[in-house]
Amino acid sequence: MPSWPEQPKYISHATTRVDAPAKVTGRARYSSDIQADGWLYGMILRSKWPAAKISEINLDKALQVPGIKAAVKARDGEFTVRFYGEELAAVCGTTKQACLDALRAIEVKAEPRREFVVREDDARKDGAPIVWDGQPNVSPGRSSEHGNVDQAFGECAAVIEGFYTTPIQIHHPMETHGSTVSWTDDGVTAWASTQAISAVRDNLAGALQLDHSQVRVLTEFMGGGFGSKLDNSLDSVLAARLSHEAKAPVRLMLTRFDNSLAVGNRPSSFQKIKIGALADGTLHAFEMENYGTSGISGGANIPAPYIYAVPNTRVKQSAVRVNAGPARAFRAPSHPQASYGMESAMDDLAAKLGVDPLEFRLKNDSNEVRQREYKIGAEKFGWKEKYQKPGSLPGVVKTGIGCAGAAWGAGGPSKRTQGEAQVNPDGSIEFRFGVQDIGTGTKTVIAVVAAEMLGLKPEQITVKVGDTNFPSGPGSGGSTTCASVSPTVFDICTKALEQLQTQSGITDARGDNWFAACKKLGVTPLTIHGQWIQGDPGRPLSSNPAYGVQFAEVAVDTETGLVTVKKIVAVHDCGLIVDTLTLESQINGGIIMGMGYALYEERVMDDLSGVVLNPNFETYKLSGIGDVPEIEITLLNMPERGVIGIGEPATVPTAAAIANAVANAIGARVGSLPITPAKVLAALGKVPPFTASKS
Amino acid sequence: MKAFEYATALSTDSARELVADNGAYLAGGNDLLGLLKEYLVPAPSILVNIKSVPNLDKIVRSENKWVIGALVTVGEIERDAEVAKVFPGLHDAAMEIASPQIRNVATVGGNLAQHSRCWYFRHRDTVCLKKGGDLCYARNSENRYHSLFTGNDCISPVVSSLATTFAALDATAIVLRDGKEILMSMAELYQKAWKEIPAHNSLNPGDLILRVRIPTLRSRSAYMQVSDKHAFDWALVSCAAAANVVDGKLSQPRVALGSISSVPHQVEAANQFLEGKPLDDATASQAADMILAGATPLEHNGYKVPMAHALIRRTLLKLKG
Amino acid sequence: MKNTEPEKFGAHSRRTFLKSLGTAAVTAAAAQTQAVAAELEKVNSEKVVGPGAVPVTLNVNGEKLKLMLEPRVTLLDALRNYSSLTGAKEGCDRAACGACTVLMDDLPIYSCQKLAIEAQGCEITTIEGLAKNGKLSPVQQAFWDRDALQCGYCTPGFIMSVTALLKYNPRPTADEVKHACAGNLCRCGTHPHILQAAFQSSGAAVTSKTEVVNA
Repeated sequence: MPSWPEQPKYISHATTRVDAPAKVTGRARYSSDIQADGWLYGMILRSKWPAAKISEINLDKALQVPGIKAAVKARDGEFTVRFYGEELAAVCGTTKQACLDALRAIEVKAEPRREFVVREDDARKDGAPIVWDGQPNVSPGRSSEHGNVDQAFGECAAVIEGFYTTPIQIHHPMETHGSTVSWTDDGVTAWASTQAISAVRDNLAGALQLDHSQVRVLTEFMGGGFGSKLDNSLDSVLAARLSHEAKAPVRLMLTRFDNSLAVGNRPSSFQKIKIGALADGTLHAFEMENYGTSGISGGANIPAPYIYAVPNTRVKQSAVRVNAGPARAFRAPSHPQASYGMESAMDDLAAKLGVDPLEFRLKNDSNEVRQREYKIGAEKFGWKEKYQKPGSLPGVVKTGIGCAGAAWGAGGPSKRTQGEAQVNPDGSIEFRFGVQDIGTGTKTVIAVVAAEMLGLKPEQITVKVGDTNFPSGPGSGGSTTCASVSPTVFDICTKALEQLQTQSGITDARGDNWFAACKKLGVTPLTIHGQWIQGDPGRPLSSNPAYGVQFAEVAVDTETGLVTVKKIVAVHDCGLIVDTLTLESQINGGIIMGMGYALYEERVMDDLSGVVLNPNFETYKLSGIGDVPEIEITLLNMPERGVIGIGEPATVPTAAAIANAVANAIGARVGSLPITPAKVLAALGKVPPFTASKS
Repeated sequence: MKAFEYATALSTDSARELVADNGAYLAGGNDLLGLLKEYLVPAPSILVNIKSVPNLDKIVRSENKWVIGALVTVGEIERDAEVAKVFPGLHDAAMEIASPQIRNVATVGGNLAQHSRCWYFRHRDTVCLKKGGDLCYARNSENRYHSLFTGNDCISPVVSSLATTFAALDATAIVLRDGKEILMSMAELYQKAWKEIPAHNSLNPGDLILRVRIPTLRSRSAYMQVSDKHAFDWALVSCAAAANVVDGKLSQPRVALGSISSVPHQVEAANQFLEGKPLDDATASQAADMILAGATPLEHNGYKVPMAHALIRRTLLKLKG
Repeated sequence: MKNTEPEKFGAHSRRTFLKSLGTAAVTAAAAQTQAVAAELEKVNSEKVVGPGAVPVTLNVNGEKLKLMLEPRVTLLDALRNYSSLTGAKEGCDRAACGACTVLMDDLPIYSCQKLAIEAQGCEITTIEGLAKNGKLSPVQQAFWDRDALQCGYCTPGFIMSVTALLKYNPRPTADEVKHACAGNLCRCGTHPHILQAAFQSSGAAVTSKTEVVNA
C-alpha cells in the first residue's frame, strides 16, 4: 500500500525554495509586472459615498483624455452602491497619468443617501439606517444550546463575565489584487494575482459569455492573498472588457487604497462571554452572545467554546450589516476571533480561581496532541520559572506570559487534485500542476516530494504551476494545498517509475539509474498523469486536522502603555513535515500576522462620512521588523498522519497568547483588539474620564 | 497627481520667481507628493526643484551656534557623529523620523513645513474644516491622534519631531520672505496654525525656510517618543528637553511636547519652575503637571495625558546623561 | 509603453527661464529632442519643462535609460511601466511599504515618492543590478539560503535595504538591521529569516532555534 518512505532523504529536512533565484533577482514576473505587447494601464473609479443611488455614469469626457483607449461602466443602468469604494467604472490608457486624469473626468450622477451606518453598535440600534431595503440589519447566526446552562452556573465555584472584541482586519497582501488581461478573437488570457486560477477562469468565462476552453489564467508568481484572492473581484472582468474595447492587453491592478475598501476583510466580533468552573477546576458552564459584521453581506459566526468541551453551553450569534466592504475568508476564518475570546475568558477564569492558566488548560483540554505540545512548549519557554500571578511583578515595565491553543480542520486535502509530469530522454523532468504558489512554497514541496520518490535532487526537478492548461488542482485555501499536491506527486512518480521501468527494462529506475532509464526513451518523452491518492489508510499520505499551541512573553510599560512582545514559543504539528525551512517560514508568518491582529491592525470607519479612514499603511499598521520578537519553533513530525497543512493553525492562537500575556503582566484585561498603548493605559485606570466639552 | 511643469532653480531668487503664485517648492518631496497624489491641495502649476540652490545643504559649526541648512537631510543629521555628541536630542529625534528611505530624502526645512497628518485632512473624500469644509470630523468622531491643546476649531497637532526638538533647543528658523530674511522661533513658526484653521504653520505662500540656527548654550538635550509600533510610526506623543546641568541642578531648562498641539507645546512657567531645581523625579513630575495643566482631552485621546506625563519625566531625567 | 514614440516636445510656458539654452535650440526643440535631452541632463539649467512628456535620462544599473516622461511620472513608474525593470514593486505608492526601494547614489529611497525627472544625474541601483555576471550578490544568496522570502513581493525592497546597510556598516547588530529595514513591510512574515540573511551576508554567525521532534 502506498506510504511515505520511512527514512526520507529530503522529506522532513530543509530544502531551499526552488523559486528563490527568480525572486531575489527580480526576474520573477507577477501579474503586476506583465508587459504584454502593446499593453495598457487600467484603473477603477470607486464610489465616494457609503450609500447612494447611481443614476448615470458619463464616460464621454474620460474618453477624450489623451492616451485613453477605452472606458466601461461597472454596471449598466441605475444601481445602488452600499459601501464606500464600490466599483463604478473603469478606464484604460497608455499611461497611469492618463488614467488618473480620465477617472477625474468621469461624471457620476448620484443621489447620496443621507442615512447610512458603518459601526456595528449603531447598526443594531432601533431606528438605525437600513443597509438593505426591506431587511433588518441584524440577522441570526449559528446558535446552539447544550445541557442546562442556567442551572450549571449556579453549581460553579467561580464564574467570570467578560466582553471581548476584535476589529475588522484587512488582508493587505503586499501585491494588491488585479490582473493583466488580454481578450482577443482567440479568447482571453489573464495573468491574475489569484489564489484560485480555476475560479478566475470560470468567473471570466461566465461574465464574458465564453467557453471555459477560451479562457486561460496564468499565475506563475503572485504576491500573497491570505484568503482575499480566493473570491473573484470585478476587476478582472473590467480589465477583460477594457481589453476587448481597446484591442490591447490591459494591466489593471488595484491600488493600496482600493485594497483597503473593497476586496475583503475578517469580520469583527463582539463576544459577551460568561464562563464558570467547578471547584476542582473543570469547566462547567459557558454562555456567549456574539455579533460581528461582514460589511454589507455575510455572516460572523465563530466556533464556541472553541477547542474546549464544556457540558453546559448556550451560544447565540448574529451578523450585523453595515455600509462597508464585504468580508472574505481570511487566514483561518473565524478562528482567531474565537481563540481570542475563549482563551481570554479562560485566563480571566483561571485568575479568579487563582490557578496557573497553563495548568487550567491542561486540565480542560483533552486533545492529546495539544497536551503534548503544551508540555514541550512550556519546558522550552520556561513557563514554570516565569509564571507570576497577574500584575504581581514590581516595576514600571512589567513582564507577563500567556498561552493559547489552536485547531484547524478545514476540508482536508482536495481529493480531486490532478497533476502531470513530463519525463524527457535527457533525464529532465517537469511537473505541471494547476495550483498556485502564494508564497507558501508549493513549488518547493512538489520538488522535494518528487526528488524523494525518484531518488533525484530537488534542483533536478522543474516545477510549473499556475496555468489553467495544466491538470486542475484546488484553490490555495484552507491550508490544503500541501496535502493535496504531495500525494499527487507520489502517484505521478509511482506511475512514472513503473512506465520507465517497463520501457527501459531497468528494474529500479530511481537515483543513479534514472538517467540511463530515461535515455532508453529514445526521442519520445513520457507524459504521466496522476491524481491525489489516499495511500495506506493506516498510514495515509495526507490527512487533517492540525493543532498547535503558542506561548507569548511580553513587556508592558505601565506608564506609556507600550506593549513589546519579547518572545513567542510555538509548537506545531502538521503530520509529515515536507520541508522544515518553508514550514518555519509559514509559522513565522502566521505568528507575525497574529501579532499584528493583537496589537496594531484595525480598519477604522468614520461614522460621519462613511469612509474608511485608514486606507493606507500609514494608519493601517502592519507588524514591522522592529516589532517582531524572538520566535522559537518546535515542529512535531508525525509521519504516520501523512502531510497536513500549516498556514492557518499557525496564526490562530497568537493574538490570544499575547493578550493573555498582557493581562498577566498588568493584572488587568484589555478586552479589545488591537491592544494599543491607549487601551493599556485605560485598563490601568490612568486615563482621565472624558467629559463632553462645549464645542 | 495632476500634471505640472517642472524646473530646477539655481538661486533663491529664481526659485521664488518660478514658484510665482501657485507653484510649489520641491525639496525631499515626501510631503508634497503625498499631498498631490491625494489631490489634497490646489494643484500647483509648477514644481520647482530647490535642491540645487547653493548654500542650503551644509551644517556649519561654530563656537556658540550651529547653523543647519534647510536642505540638510534628516538622514545626514542622523549619521553626523558630531550632532550626536553636541545635540543628542536632535540625533535621537532624527533617527526615529519615519524610515531610512524617507530620512534619506527628507529635509530639515520640509520636516518643519510639512502639512497636517490628521487622517481627515489627508483623506481624499472628507472635506474637513482645515480644507475649507464646514465640519471638523475629528472633534466628534475619530480623534485618538489629535490635540490636547487647541487654539481654534482645528484639532490637528504639529507632528514635526524636529520642531519639538528645535523648540527645546531654542532654535531659530531663518525664513526668506519676499527677498528678506526673517527670524522665527519655533513658537512663531507655528503660531499661525494655533490661530487660524487652514494654517499648518506661519509660512506664507512663496516663503522658503533657509536654515535653522541652534545655540550651543545647552550642553544636554534629549528626545523621546511613544508610538503604537516600535518603528516607522508617527509619535502619539513626543517630548524634547534641553538644559545645562550644573551640580545636579538644571540651568536654562526647556521642555517641549509634540503631537499634542498645533504648536510645539511649551509652558514658560514650567521652564521657569525647573530653573535651578535638582534634576530628580519629583521635580520632573511637578514640571509635567504644569506642562499638561489645562489640557482638554477629546473622547479618544485622553491617554495622551498620562503618556505625556511619563515622557516628560523620562526625557528630563535622560538629561542626567 | 516600452515602444512609445517620443512625442512632440511639450509646449513652452510663458515663464521659460533659459540660462544655458539659446533661443534657437528652443524653437527647434521639436526636431531636436536629443539636444534638449542632453541639456536637461545637466543640472545647471533652470528651463521649465512639461507638463507634457519630456526626455528624461536615468542612469540605472550602470546603463542609460532614455525615456519620454511627464514630470509627474515617479521613478518607480518609470522603471516598471516605461522600461522592463519590474524588479522594484508597487506595494502602496505612498512611501509607506518599501517594496519600491531602490538605491540612489548608494542610499535607499522610495522610488514611488521620487520624480523620475529629478532622479537624473544620480546612480540608481535596482534589484536587477546586484548580480554580477550571473553571480548573485552575498545578500541575494543569503536571502535564498535562509528562506528570507515567501511570496517574494517585498523581497527586492528588503534586499536593497540590507545591501545598502552592509555597504555602510559591514557587521551590523540585530538592532541595526532592524533599524535599517524599518521602512520595509512584509505581510508574509519573513522578518526572522531576513535577520538571519543579513547576518549571513555580513559573515556573522547565524543561529536557528527551530527543532524537530519526531513522534
